Amino acid sequence: MKKKLLSVVSLLLMGTLLAGCSSSKPTTPAPNDSASGEKTYKVAYIARAQSDSFAAWLANSVKEEATKYPNIKLEVFDGQANDDKENSMIENAITNKFDLIIVQPNSGESQRPYVEKVVQSGIFAITTNARISGIKGASSVDAQPYEQAAVNARAALTQIPQNAKVVVLKGPSGNFHADERRASWQKEFFDKRPDVKIVGEQIANWNKDEAMKYMEDWVQANDKIDAVIAMNDNMAAGALEVVKGNAKYTNMLAYGVDGTAEALFLIKEGRMTSTCLQNANELAEKMLDASNKLLTGAEKEINTDIGNPLVNKENVDQYIEILKKSGTIK
Amino acid sequence: MKLDNNFWTTVKKKYSIYLILVGLFIVCSLANPNFLSINNLTNISRQLSVTTILALGATMLIISGMLDLSSGSVLALAGVFAVSTYKATGSLLLAVAVGIFTGIICNAINALMISTFKAPPFIATLAMLTVARGAALLYTKGQNILQLGNFVELGQGSIGVIPIPIIFLVAIAILTWYLLNHTRFGRSLYAVGGNEEAAIASGINVHKVKYTVFIINGIFVGLAGVLFMSRVNAGLPNGAINYEFTALTAAIIGGTSFSGGIGTVGGTLAGAFIVGFLDNIMNLNNVDSYMQQIVRGTIIALAVIYDIRSRNRRANSMLGKVQDQGAAKK
Repeated sequence: MKKKLLSVVSLLLMGTLLAGCSSSKPTTPAPNDSASGEKTYKVAYIARAQSDSFAAWLANSVKEEATKYPNIKLEVFDGQANDDKENSMIENAITNKFDLIIVQPNSGESQRPYVEKVVQSGIFAITTNARISGIKGASSVDAQPYEQAAVNARAALTQIPQNAKVVVLKGPSGNFHADERRASWQKEFFDKRPDVKIVGEQIANWNKDEAMKYMEDWVQANDKIDAVIAMNDNMAAGALEVVKGNAKYTNMLAYGVDGTAEALFLIKEGRMTSTCLQNANELAEKMLDASNKLLTGAEKEINTDIGNPLVNKENVDQYIEILKKSGTIK
Repeated sequence: MKLDNNFWTTVKKKYSIYLILVGLFIVCSLANPNFLSINNLTNISRQLSVTTILALGATMLIISGMLDLSSGSVLALAGVFAVSTYKATGSLLLAVAVGIFTGIICNAINALMISTFKAPPFIATLAMLTVARGAALLYTKGQNILQLGNFVELGQGSIGVIPIPIIFLVAIAILTWYLLNHTRFGRSLYAVGGNEEAAIASGINVHKVKYTVFIINGIFVGLAGVLFMSRVNAGLPNGAINYEFTALTAAIIGGTSFSGGIGTVGGTLAGAFIVGFLDNIMNLNNVDSYMQQIVRGTIIALAVIYDIRSRNRRANSMLGKVQDQGAAKK
């Protein structure tokens, strides 16, 4: 009985492995010519971590956008928020002779030497979200984390009242986006507003549930909180969930970054102050357009940015429409 | 005088964890005036309810010599399935049933790997951790599920003044206590964890015990998933990361021995509240994130050292008694 069970499980495992190999075929070279005779190019997209909701949105958008280019065969890899794993994936993509490799770095500098290797191997390289700058021969399509926080911070200069008490929710320590956004708030806001007191500052790892826990404790510890400064929308939404329906916090300000569907709805309801839209669809469009131009020889190097629009109550409807059209909000 | 000494020795041996809890409660009350407020204590209980439900499942597993590293990931999978079910049908009952069913299926597979295929619990549940998290991310494409409507009532609502998650926690704690202390199944758990060979020799169906305890754990994890998503008002595929370690920490601090055969519901509840009080007081006093991690780690290390030392003391004392009896016979 046990032997039979083991055989069945082994067969299942082998079947799954074979099915996996046949569906993704990461090591099989792509056909050079499509049915129409047009040359096809192999493009690798190496995501920072597909468990991160923005990175997942971006990866989905890149996949979607790639279907518009019949000459591009895209394969997506997951760096799992781990420098070592992401670097190995870049090396594997070089070995597998992809024609172009797009890297969404986990922490910029760690991936720099590997992206340099890509260029040295004669393969086109694009870095994105965030750009690894200064690599000769590499292209980039970016959304700048510093500027994303800065547009909020500049608006907050006049919105946050004098002698306000604020709390700060940070992303994971050592994460490029987390650190850049926090540095931006420091330079663009806290250094210019010494009257504002930070009564709580913790790392909530981009997570709504962790942000809720911290906010619950801060609400008990402080007689008032004038503003929540969060490095992403998930954490801002967590803090707002805690004070939902509490009249004392009706006028509390809340800032985030990303422009997630949840944040846009919160802004629309008047519960969140602003966010900066990091539009994954726009990034994906620009990335595939740049890939196509590089591969077909139209251009040798491209460095381009998407905008960092501030989304607030005045313009939120327009961005909700954009996300609806792209299918991000259903 | 001797009676007094015996009394204190017994109190220290049996109730030391509760004395620590009371001591910590007093210290926290003095450290921050907000700690003792009803709102804060309710918050702590509400925050702890999900991880403590996991901890109660973990306690039963550890007592029987097992372990579950997958509970956080299975919680997320069960939670997102429950949320989707609610959004599709509007039925809270069906959503809860789907959450619990998901927990049961995942844990039945854990039991299959451990009991039938003799995989070490650490490895088997580590595999499930990866699979369940991957499945949650695949199902949601890494995106949060929003706009849950009345689903939030379970996690955010109250009956009278008592929050609903706390009612679930109390019910599960009573059920676990009853199972461990007043049923043959409970006695079998201690026997299997204490000495599996002896348990088999005494006629206990070890396979059945292992499957049952994993399925009960699955029910707890599934329910915790529903409560978690309801509390955060979203289906978070990335939610509850590392919750398995918080649950294990509570069980270990509460005196559950990793060697199996030892553990109580009261101890685990005390362990959970010790961790909860510590986290709360550190947040109320705005202790740095990094320092919080050091404090948590130190507490776990101390609890494990205490566990090992007390086991050695017990073993020496038993050995002493056996030697005394031997000498008396001669």
